[in-house]
Order: sequence, then structure tokens, then C-alpha cells
Amino acid sequence: MSTPLLTRLRDEFGAVRAALPANVIAAAARQEALERLCALGLPATREENWRYANLRVLERARFTPAAAEAAMPALPEPLSGFARYVFVDAELRAQAPAPPGVTVRSLRAPGAPTNGWRFGSDLPETRLALLNETFATDAASIEVRAGADAPGIELVFVAATGAQNGASYPRVRLALASGARLTVVERHLGAADAQSLVNSAVRVELAPNAQLTHYRLQHGGARAAWFDTLTAELAEAARYDLLAVSAGALAARSTVHARLLGAGAELTLSAAALGEGQQTHDMYALSEHRAPRTRTLETFRGIASGRARVAFNGKITVGENAPGTDSRQSLRGLLDGAEAEVDLRPQLEIYTDEVRCSHGATAGKLDENMLFYLLSRGLAPEVAQHLLKWAFLEDVIARIALPDLRRQIELALIGQMSEAATLKELL
Amino acid sequence: MLTIKNLHAAVDGKEILKGLELEVPAGEVHAVMGPNGSGKSTLAHVLAGRPGYTITSGAVHFKGRDLLALAPEERAREGLFLGFQYPVEIPGVNNVYLLKAAVNAARKHHGLPEVDAFEFLTLVREKMRLMRMDESMLSRGVNEGFSGGEKKRNEILQMLVLEPALAVLDETDSGLDIDALKVVAHGVNTLRAANRSMVLVTHYQRLLEYIVPDRVHVLIKGRIVRSGDRTLALELEQRGYDWLMDEAA
Ligand SMILES: Nc1ncnc2c1ncn2[C@@H]1O[C@H](COP(=O)(O)OP(=O)(O)OP(=O)(O)O)[C@@H](O)[C@H]1O
Ligand SMILES: [Mg+2]
Repeated sequence: MSTPLLTRLRDEFGAVRAALPANVIAAAARQEALERLCALGLPATREENWRYANLRVLERARFTPAAAEAAMPALPEPLSGFARYVFVDAELRAQAPAPPGVTVRSLRAPGAPTNGWRFGSDLPETRLALLNETFATDAASIEVRAGADAPGIELVFVAATGAQNGASYPRVRLALASGARLTVVERHLGAADAQSLVNSAVRVELAPNAQLTHYRLQHGGARAAWFDTLTAELAEAARYDLLAVSAGALAARSTVHARLLGAGAELTLSAAALGEGQQTHDMYALSEHRAPRTRTLETFRGIASGRARVAFNGKITVGENAPGTDSRQSLRGLLDGAEAEVDLRPQLEIYTDEVRCSHGATAGKLDENMLFYLLSRGLAPEVAQHLLKWAFLEDVIARIALPDLRRQIELALIGQMSEAATLKELL
Repeated sequence: MLTIKNLHAAVDGKEILKGLELEVPAGEVHAVMGPNGSGKSTLAHVLAGRPGYTITSGAVHFKGRDLLALAPEERAREGLFLGFQYPVEIPGVNNVYLLKAAVNAARKHHGLPEVDAFEFLTLVREKMRLMRMDESMLSRGVNEGFSGGEKKRNEILQMLVLEPALAVLDETDSGLDIDALKVVAHGVNTLRAANRSMVLVTHYQRLLEYIVPDRVHVLIKGRIVRSGDRTLALELEQRGYDWLMDEAA
């Protein structure tokens, strides 16, 4: 396939390939990833599972990695008990000592081992991981020893692409050996005015009985394009709690492909998106049940105001070797404004008996009765509306088990809503 | 306190209030009774400023001001409180947040500083004890999962905390067991004061045994057709409304 965009992509790669670190990804592997991506083509909105994403931003994006020279921007308050790692334009800049039982390596560091970890999957929806593979300038590999009950790790990715707009390619591998436990907080921040492209790839490997709690907060800059591909493999009785909040960026798209490969594996996916102005937040999540007694609990709450579009496409497949599967999907959208758009798509494919699957999807406006009730108590209309939007997201936000983080996320979400000051005093 | 003159109000093109007259002086408690569908809740909603009602003619004055010119939140901040017949559940909006936001909205309106968080909680706890409400209800969503009676108690709790100048309680007694009725009545009675008025919409004379009204009004087909002292309520209980229907026509 050859389009002007792909030609430009090749040219940009040709210009920087020699400078890209071979430790992170070998030159040949980069070239191969690029070829595969070009063969598949970049995602297009005519594709079923990309139709709600804002892909126009890819056309104006510069793919060349940013020089990572920018100064460190202001960071959120550290979370107590968490070791913080800061990546500026995806390169590791600051790190704490790793907690016991945990190894954190930057593959860019001298002496880092070469690796052949695969990001993305065979699913074409994950193919932006190939773009990450082509250009990635660093990768973080986080491993937790068998049985270790590790304190938290915080990964802060800052797209700080200074004067020149450029791309950054966060790349993270999270591997928990059997019985290991870890909580990871992953934040994505960006300079307010940068028209940057962020294209991250995350690979999660959970050995039997491993438990990973993974919080992801996307709070990219207002003009940024943010793409993300996460794949996860869960072995027997592994548990993956993934909670994602999408609040920032102009165009955000997140793809999740989770495979429940071992009996009794459990995935909890909770996602919230807050779209204001011209933002697009699009998420596609596939959860594949490939073993008996596996479980997916999926919750999505999205709000679209102004001319924003919020979409969630959640597909759950239950293979013939997955009897006893339990899956629940609860997707809800809230529309605030005549030009706002919410698109929810629950999909379920079942190829076996003895399963319990339920799903529901509803999109609607703010409830007039609730609104009037709040006004009748003296609350200003803007405050009442914000409070109700807020309440709507609570189904997801209330699942954040870390009080400090929860508070930070609440404040970030409130900050995202206009006229925020009035609400802050309530919390 | 409240003066309603020749009030006509329609909803979806249908006229519900048809020339309603009512005068509630400061310090008095008035009961409004009437058959189902006569317009009692409509009156309460119109007073509170609920959207969807068209006022075709008439005037309402509250503390000497044109009530109908005020937005719903302004009416509340000026001291009008509506106790809903069907309090709405708002999951995710915490009860205390709402109480505090409501109190602060009124204080700000009157140029007062915000309440001290600690003193406020102490006050709320005290009022909750009065209403025999479990403190755990504070941290729950507004009316979320509350039983019918708990919702009504929560309305009264809000009223006690807000200390309105005029409280319009729409069937706050419906769905309450005897004990709860006493608790609610006690709550209401503690708030009776020379500078405060109340309008109790009720179907039952029983409530009026506990909250003795200064006046009783009968609302039929959108108009007050008869007013009297508390004995009128007893008479209604015995005779029903049929004998007053002619007067409404
Ligand atoms: N949206 C509407 N469209 C048409 N009629 C309406 C609408 N809302 C209310 N009504 C009618 O207005 C009339 C008055 O209703 P309202 O709720 O005020 O009665 P009420 O006196 O409070 O009755 P109840 O004792 O049963 O609570 C009823 O006949 C009702 O059906
Ligand atoms: Mg009624």
C-alpha cells in the first residue's frame, strides 16, 4: 500500500533510522515493523472499529521522535509509597530506587539486554503498536519477581515536545511472575500548546495468580493526538484490574486487547472519558475468553459536551474452550449539548454453553428531575450540571482504591470541566 | 410572607391552576388539602420554579418580591424550600456535599462567608439525631437506595439545615409510619417561628394533629374553594370533598 502519508512516514523513518537506539529495538526489527504497518495501511475511519476515532490528526502529525530536550514540566504531587519514573518524550529522565522484588529497566540504558518482546497482537486494531516499534526511542521493562507483593510504581510520561512539534512513543512492558502483585499508576501529560503525537504501546504479561492493578490517566495537551495500544495476556487465576481515564488531548484513541488464557483469569476494565469542546475520545476493547471460568467486568462512563465525541466499543468473545465464563458490560454515555456525540457498542460473541453474560448500553441527557432538585436547593445551574456529570463518572472513579490518586484524578477531571472553581470547594 | 393572586398555570397546554388565591402571613402554618389531581403539586412546583409550567396570568409575592421573576436557585437562596412529594435519587452526589453546597449558596447570596466544615458537620449530625436518621446516610448518594420514609426524612433534614423562610412540604407525611410521622412532625415543629411560614400539602388530618395549622385550605380543580381553621380538616375527613365540588365548578 502506498499513500502520500505512508510515503512521508517512510521518508521520516529514513531520515532518523540511523539515530534510533538499537538496544530498544534492533534496526532490522524497526524496518520490519514499518513494512508490516505499510502493508496494513494506517487505520482509516472506513474500518468498522476505527470509525469513531479522529484519524485526521494523523495526517498532520510529524512521526519523527521529538528531541526530548524540553525542560521537565511541573508534575503532579507524588503518591506516597510509590516509586516514580518520569519519561520526557518517552525517554526515562528521573527514577527512584526500584521497590523490593521489582526490576525497572530502561532499554536505552547502556548494557541493557536486547529483547524480542512483541507489542500489539495479530488483531489489526493493534497495528499502531507497529508505528511505536518503528520509532520508539526508549522502553521501560518492569518485572516483578514470583510471589513478591510489591509497592506501587508510578510512570509519568510527559510529551513536552518543545518548540518543534514531534512525536513520542512511550513503550512499557509489565511482567508479573507467578503470584506477584503490583499497582502501577501510568500518567500521560502534555504541554498545553504542543500539537504533538503520542503513540504508546503497553504489553502486560501476567503469570498464574499474578495480580496487577493498573491506573491510566490520559491528560495530554489540548492540541495533542494521543494513540495507545495495550495488549495483555492473563494466565491461570491471574487478575488484571485496569482503570483508564481519558480526559486530555484533542484526539484520543485507546485500543485494548486482553486475552484470558488461563482458567479463572479475571479482567476488570473500568474506563471513563470526559470530552469537551472538540475532543474525541475513542476506545476499543476486546476481551477474549479462551479458558474456563474466566471473567470480564467492563464498565464505561463517558460524557460528551460541546462538540465532543465519546465512543466505546467493547467486544467480548467467549471461545468454545471457555465454559463457565462470566462477563458483564455496563456502558453508559451522557450527552450535554446538541452537537455532542456518544457512541456505545457492546458486542458479545459466544461459542460455548454455560456462560453468564450480560450487557447494557444507554446514552442519554442529564436528568431534568435531578437537575431541578439541585436548583431547588439553591445550587447554580452550572454547579448542578457539573455535579451531575461528576456523579455520572463516579461508577468508575469510585473504583480507584488509592485516595490520593483518586483525589488527583477528581481534580483533573474537574479542571477539565469549565467553570470548575465552584465545584472544587465541594470536594 | 406569601401572597398568591389569581394564579393561572398550565402544563403542556392544559390549564391546571385556574385563578388560585392564597395568603400565608409570616409565622403561620397553612395546610392545603384536596383530591388527587387537583393541582397541589403543581402549585408547589410553580412556587419553586420548576420548568415546564406556563404562568398565563396572576402574581406571586414572596417577602414582598415578585417570586415568579426569580430563577429556581434564587428562590431557594431567598429562603423558599420545597419538600418534594417524590424526592429524586441522585446516585454519586453525596448527601453532605449537597447540604453544604446548598447552605453555602444561600450564605454567599446573603454576603456571608462559607460555613466552617467542622461546625457544619456537628450541626448536621445534631439535626440527624433529631430526625432519627442513621449517620451513614450522610455519606451516601442523595436519596440513593433510601426507603420512601427515609427520603421524606431526608427532605426534612435538609429543611432543618437550610432554615428556610417559607417551606412548602408536598405530602411529606405520605408513606410514613406512625413513628416516622411523629419524628417528621417534631422536626417541622422545631422550625416554627415568628419569621417563618409553612405550607403543608397533605391528604390526612392525622399530620395536622401533630402539626397544628393556623389555616386549612381546600384546593379543587385549580382553585382554593374553601378556607377555615383546623376544624375544616376534620370536616373533610368525615365528609370527603364531594360537598365542595359544586363550589369548584
Ligand atoms: N405534563 C402534564 N401534562 C398534562 N397534565 C399534567 C401534566 N402534569 C400534571 N398534569 C395534570 O395536572 C393535574 C394536577 O396534578 P398535580 O400533581 O398538581 O395533582 P395533586 O393535587 O398534587 O395530586 P396528588 O394528590 O395525586 O398528588 C393532574 O390532573 C395531572 O394529571
Ligand atoms: Mg401531588
